[in-house]
Amino acid sequence: MFKFFSFSNIYPLIQKLIKFINSIFFLILAIGLTFALVLSPPDYLQGDAVRIMYVHVPSAWIGLACFSVITLLSVLNFIFKIKNFFFINKSIAPIGLLFTCLAIITGSLWGQPTWGTWWAWDARLTSMIVLMLFYVIYILTFKLLNKEELIIKVSSIVAIIGSINLPIIKYSVEWWSTLHQPASIKITGSSSIHSEMMLPLMVMLLVFLLYAALIFLMKYKTEIIRIKKKNFKRK
Amino acid sequence: MISNFITMNGYGLYVWLSFSVVFISCAVVYFRTKRTLEKYEQEFLTELQALTIEEKNKALEASKVVQQILATSSKVN
Repeated sequence: MFKFFSFSNIYPLIQKLIKFINSIFFLILAIGLTFALVLSPPDYLQGDAVRIMYVHVPSAWIGLACFSVITLLSVLNFIFKIKNFFFINKSIAPIGLLFTCLAIITGSLWGQPTWGTWWAWDARLTSMIVLMLFYVIYILTFKLLNKEELIIKVSSIVAIIGSINLPIIKYSVEWWSTLHQPASIKITGSSSIHSEMMLPLMVMLLVFLLYAALIFLMKYKTEIIRIKKKNFKRK
Repeated sequence: MISNFITMNGYGLYVWLSFSVVFISCAVVYFRTKRTLEKYEQEFLTELQALTIEEKNKALEASKVVQQILATSSKVN
């Protein structure tokens, strides 16, 4: 099954996917922005400030999802020793860091009009800062260490330790009394968000996912070329 | 109506700033990633061209990926 992850199988797929995403991205972005900024109604309490949700929530979800994938692939790499997972992780990490930072910044911009403060050291906000720091440490392992084997080991350990923070982020709003509101959208059970806001949120999530996929594919392609280039020098 | 859209009923600064930060950051990351990819593709082609015909054929035969990179990079450049 893991033979599928060989570069020769993946490379042609990357090219096709980049083309596909480029062809549909701007159309979906235009639809998402129209819904988010024009068609969706203002909130009865927060007014138009609620529109920040359409960039804040997808950013936070992708920031969390990227670290979850990094952890999973790090564990699989430990067990099955599939080097390709390390290259996938290396390409995902900067995307996760970007979206985590964006979630923190947009959260702060949303906090000022709704809570009356740009920042509070409450559990959700602090755990997001911790996630950002883990991303920074994870990326620094590639920059500061030289031996590939050592990088794989250290970065995997960082990812596994950092994953302890993921459930803390998720449940922080339930475990502690925080300024941040509890989850409005639930996978199991009913969500407390109206469909007129849910639809734009889902479209914006799709836009962000497509963007994240595009950056990942470009970074992964760069990684493959870098490896193949290194092989020339060895010969 | 347009002025309402711009001011967002008093929340314009926060809403527009949030969207601007997100889209400017994403655009910067996109162009930087694209530039790095193109730089590596170019360096790859230059190094491949520097090889002797025999070495080049050997590299192309040995790796399907090298053939694919060569094919797609030629289209890009």
